Amino acid sequence: MSENLSIWEKMQSFDRRWLYLVLIVLVTFGLFVSPDIPAQPDESSVGLYVTLDGLDENDTILIQSDWTNSTRGETLGHLEALLRTVMAKRIKFVMYTFADPQAPQVSRDALRRLNDELPEDKRYKLGIDYLELGYFPNAEGATQSLGNNIRTFWEGRKTRVEGNGGDEMDIFRTPVLENIQKLEDCGMICVVTPSNTIDIAVERLSGKLPICCMCTGVVGPQILPYYNAGQVAGLAIGLKGVYDMEMMMAGGLNLDKADYPNSVRSDKYSENKALPVVSPIEGKSSADYSLGRGKKYYAALNIALALMVLAVIAGNIGMYAAKRRERNA
Amino acid sequence: MNLPLAAIWGQDPGSGALIGYLVGAFILGVVMMVAMTKMPTRGRKPSVWIATFASGFFYFLFWIWPSPINRGPSDLPVGFSEKVGFGLQDALPKVANIAIILTAFLLGLGIYSLLHVHLGRLFKKQKDWQFSLILVVSMVLMIIFGYWDWMQRQFNDPDLLLAKMDNWGFVNYSFDLLFDGLLQQMDAAMFSMIAFFILSAAYRAFRIKSIEATVLMASALIMILSIMGAVDMVYSNMIDSMTGGDPGHFLNDAKITAVASWVKNTMQVPALRALEFGVGLGALAMGLRLWLGLEKGGVS
Amino acid sequence: MQYLDTAWIGVAVTLVMVAFVLLNIVRARGKEGGLYIRRIPGLNALDDAIGRATEMGRPVLMIPGIGTLNAISVQALSIFAHVTKSAAQFSTPIKICCADAAVYTVAQEVIRDVYQTQGMGDRYNEDFVQFVSDRQFAFAAGVSGIIHREKVAAAFLLGEFYAESLIFAETCNSVGAIQVAGSTHNTQTPFFIAACDYVLIGDEFYAASAYLKREPVLVGSLVGQDWGKMLIAAMCLLGCFIFSIDMTSAPTTKRVTVGEENGTSLVEFQAVDDSDNMEDGSLRKKRSSDTALHHYFHPVVSPGAFQDRNRPQKEEEGS
Repeated sequence: MSENLSIWEKMQSFDRRWLYLVLIVLVTFGLFVSPDIPAQPDESSVGLYVTLDGLDENDTILIQSDWTNSTRGETLGHLEALLRTVMAKRIKFVMYTFADPQAPQVSRDALRRLNDELPEDKRYKLGIDYLELGYFPNAEGATQSLGNNIRTFWEGRKTRVEGNGGDEMDIFRTPVLENIQKLEDCGMICVVTPSNTIDIAVERLSGKLPICCMCTGVVGPQILPYYNAGQVAGLAIGLKGVYDMEMMMAGGLNLDKADYPNSVRSDKYSENKALPVVSPIEGKSSADYSLGRGKKYYAALNIALALMVLAVIAGNIGMYAAKRRERNA
Repeated sequence: MNLPLAAIWGQDPGSGALIGYLVGAFILGVVMMVAMTKMPTRGRKPSVWIATFASGFFYFLFWIWPSPINRGPSDLPVGFSEKVGFGLQDALPKVANIAIILTAFLLGLGIYSLLHVHLGRLFKKQKDWQFSLILVVSMVLMIIFGYWDWMQRQFNDPDLLLAKMDNWGFVNYSFDLLFDGLLQQMDAAMFSMIAFFILSAAYRAFRIKSIEATVLMASALIMILSIMGAVDMVYSNMIDSMTGGDPGHFLNDAKITAVASWVKNTMQVPALRALEFGVGLGALAMGLRLWLGLEKGGVS
Repeated sequence: MQYLDTAWIGVAVTLVMVAFVLLNIVRARGKEGGLYIRRIPGLNALDDAIGRATEMGRPVLMIPGIGTLNAISVQALSIFAHVTKSAAQFSTPIKICCADAAVYTVAQEVIRDVYQTQGMGDRYNEDFVQFVSDRQFAFAAGVSGIIHREKVAAAFLLGEFYAESLIFAETCNSVGAIQVAGSTHNTQTPFFIAACDYVLIGDEFYAASAYLKREPVLVGSLVGQDWGKMLIAAMCLLGCFIFSIDMTSAPTTKRVTVGEENGTSLVEFQAVDDSDNMEDGSLRKKRSSDTALHHYFHPVVSPGAFQDRNRPQKEEEGS
């Protein structure tokens, strides 16, 4: 008789839309509170920060931004953390995509927002501090061509240069790429992706330059074998990856706790020390400059995961209660 | 070595010769397309195989031929082997472009299919014709405003003024509304629905019904808890208080992150590698069968 | 300039695997009764699912993933050709939704071909194969709509899937469709396992057509793949063995970075001396980077040593 069922058993057959409603309410609540949640960064995220820390001012790196707004909960945070670090260190970069025609627009928007935060004299200028090359279809063929010869792959490509009127300039004559003769001259490539374009990058570009990746939580496990084998130097996975990056940007890595109380510690990279990023905005501390979407969304992630754990536990108790009733009947 | 075809792809953008080549290539493409459509099946299959083999042979040669690395921009090849190596390296981006151009041709066919289905439904007032109307109107609007906005930015904005929203006009706001305000947000909404599906799928699937299901659930819980920083830190501090902060103490291996790392590195990664080997070999065999025209019926 | 002459082993192993596949195709062609391959449970469900759709008078939905035209989508279409053959015999309606224009074109050819070879060309309808959208979530939304409106009885999700996999699987689940799924992307397999009735895991996806058609070429190729897997397993074991033995001996050489040229580190090997000893004076343990296998797969890079100073150069172009 249904009135004799325990609450656990009733939960076995309740409408799943109630579960969805609870999720919406709790996650929305999580978005409005963003407490400082302590966390230990993944070693793969530390690898990414260490690789970025090894770059020098005026190095040129490649940023393959393959995401669109659908995965922005994770990948926008990735790109922002990456760009904030790069812009604070005055590293030049080339941004392009091999995955999606919508991707250039969303990464351009993200860059514009971050650039607008900076004081006038520290803003990144198109054609001088960075290049934005847009979309290249056929990821497999394009990556192979890039690895084959960067000069022939982008041969004849022109860019606008900020402050140069409407005139276009060959990209290899701009300060960003003038010293790049071959792919190996670039400091690193970072693929921000929710898809398999990182697999293609590993297959085609391994051994030529350090490869790093920032990917969604779902894709993460697929890339881990490459990280463990050393083919990918650093890997930030999902929202936790964003939060890991922000923590290291704000507090530094393996530093003396007396001087840097928020510094995080890593066992695998115990020999590497990295300072927090220096905020390019006057009056803003490293933490104020660095902590962004990762911190904002991390509470919501924790709440959603806690709900999932509770749902799994409740489901199992209900199943156990139903089985026990059957046995007793 | 300069391949003779370099004369075609080396033309300056906008030059008369390039436009001539483009028109010629377009006519040739259309003629070939019509010829292939009209060709009887008996003749079509060998032609398809020859094209497949030739395309595959380029990549095979590129893969197996000694490839110059550290090549300077003004290096010249010495001997036959290097000439071929240089030629293959120079030709690669152009050959990759052929695939892109073919895809662009095929996109036209995709749009034809879409319009064929939905315009047909619209004119015949079949069931759910309203959805088809929305689809066609959205498509037309996006094409018009997308192209218009692009033209403005590309040709009428030498000082990059449109990079700032203050300088936007009707066209730019309309495109932004369609692209960012509608398309992107609907994309994000579809993606976020996965969260609900994951929750209900987890609720259904993670039940202690058998040993395998229990192992699956236990590893899932370990992974989930390892991402939850607050839980991890409380538990780690508890372990630290038991070990007195000694990094060599064996209890450190009981921390959630340590257990999660062990599960990932010792269980998940090797299993994934093994699966990847299998998948890679499958793709290799499939590619080989297609390249050599060994597969009968079905696709080839 | 230098040549990458240390990578020959990768090429050699690949060629051996190619030889395995070709050799077994020849063996399978010559052997009466064919070579033995084991049963794949997920594939037994194909005909059951089509039968159910026929009984219910509802369509069979097939999705070859959202990838471009490659080995994966071609393999998916190959399985769909088999499904279509069975469906055509029972006049069960089918629907193939494509997210890539090239896949759509090939799918249309394949399905028309199946109907014609079955002598049922008149039953073929161009709308059986439909291009929905090449945008991932527009495609997901479009296909979900089709699943709901047409109340499909069976769904075959085979090919390259990403985040949309769970949307399809759960939507099919909500209309009570039987689902057979398989993806070569291992990250999506767990979602399919949680939500679908039958799942092809990893390379079972490639084995499917051999199991369904039993043609010597396909069966031989499958056996060749298994030989390849055995070769890989043997190499893993051999590498493990050599590495373990090597690690037990004392270190004799070390890798030292001696400088930099054109941004590339110059590395050379030096003999281990007393400076490498531990604090208590004992000889340090061998690191994995001291082993012969590590040396083999991480060759010393010194571009200057290979640079051909007498190489002819192009004449400088006026800038």
